[in-house]
Amino acid sequence: MCKGASFRNVRGCLNDYFPYSENRVCNILGIKYPIVEGGMAWAGESTLAAAVSNSGALGTLGAGSLDGEQLRKEIAVIRKLTDKPFAINLLVISPYFEECLKVIFEEKIDNVILGGGNPGSTLKWLKDEGKTVLCVVSSDNLAKMLEREGADIIIAEGSESGGHIGNVSSLVLIPSIKESISIPVISAGGISDGKTAAATIILGAEGIQMGTRFLASNEAKIHENYKNMILKSGICDTIVTGRALGHPVRVIKNRFSKRILNLELIDKLAAEKELIGSLGKAVASGDRKNGSFMAGQSAGRIEDILSVEEIISTISKDIEKILNIDEVFKDE
Amino acid sequence: MNDSEIFEKIKTIFVEKLDLDDDEFKLEASLRDDLGASSLELVDLVMEFEKQTGINIELEELNGIDTVGDVVDLVKGKIKK
Repeated sequence: MCKGASFRNVRGCLNDYFPYSENRVCNILGIKYPIVEGGMAWAGESTLAAAVSNSGALGTLGAGSLDGEQLRKEIAVIRKLTDKPFAINLLVISPYFEECLKVIFEEKIDNVILGGGNPGSTLKWLKDEGKTVLCVVSSDNLAKMLEREGADIIIAEGSESGGHIGNVSSLVLIPSIKESISIPVISAGGISDGKTAAATIILGAEGIQMGTRFLASNEAKIHENYKNMILKSGICDTIVTGRALGHPVRVIKNRFSKRILNLELIDKLAAEKELIGSLGKAVASGDRKNGSFMAGQSAGRIEDILSVEEIISTISKDIEKILNIDEVFKDE
Repeated sequence: MNDSEIFEKIKTIFVEKLDLDDDEFKLEASLRDDLGASSLELVDLVMEFEKQTGINIELEELNGIDTVGDVVDLVKGKIKK
């Protein structure tokens, strides 16, 4: 017997997703397609985010590696590149969290994504300031608490995701969260194409989030080595470092990540020290010896570098084809 | 519910959820370092307290929780309000 609150058939799930004019994620965020760019420190900069927003989805500035003034500059750039909605992804564990929050207030940012831990009083403060708040979670109980405290949308991030991750896979996490709350759920983790996206819609997602797929785009300003590593990866070529350190992170397997995996079991402090700046080294210089190339398991299914516009339009069309919406809605 | 009953209820939930021996449940035990509980497990424990006691704990109140004693104090304070 299912533990879920209620049985929801496929048609009910499709009705939550289509048509876009009635999709809650589209309506809350003011976007054409219910697709969100995953928050990515270093890689999720203004050019990529603007390209995503200009293609009808929600671009996301990843503020995880930025201090307040760097964030302010990135906001200025994205505003020059697009007049469409975008979001700032704030990592709760960032040392610059407080100053970035101040910038978000001063710059009158509408959409904020909170991830990386317990946001404490920040969520209520953002809601009091009239912001739309999306929270990235990997647990149904945390999703319940965040809904109670005012979150607008929950991003259910399965352990297939790249970067900082939880323990639960999308197949279990998405329906469990969907059955626990009434606000919209966006799926994240393992999505790279229409087929994987459609599967999460059947699980209850009203929107989808992708990170790695957007890294493999013309607009992503990451080193060519990074893009090539994604293209060459198979589905078993990511590993999770940092479990022993209390902050698991999914990265592409290379000599560096394998060294960290061993080191964190022997000498946590030394492992922490080696990890400092390692994502930056991957993004900026493609440093295969000292870089953490964060990516999700979906890297194994990505075979081409496309424009952001192609990624979004192809996935949207494929979702519609796979779920056969013309057939499902022909009598309506 | 008096202090002793609150303590016993929390102990029961901790022992079951974290698979502890009774003598591991000490007020001074660190949730992370001694009991191996993650921040998400703390959220799960809190939701279980809420279900069993009817209290309502906010996320903000979990910041700064380090030991079993901190959890006991938080729940006691809530129940007495």
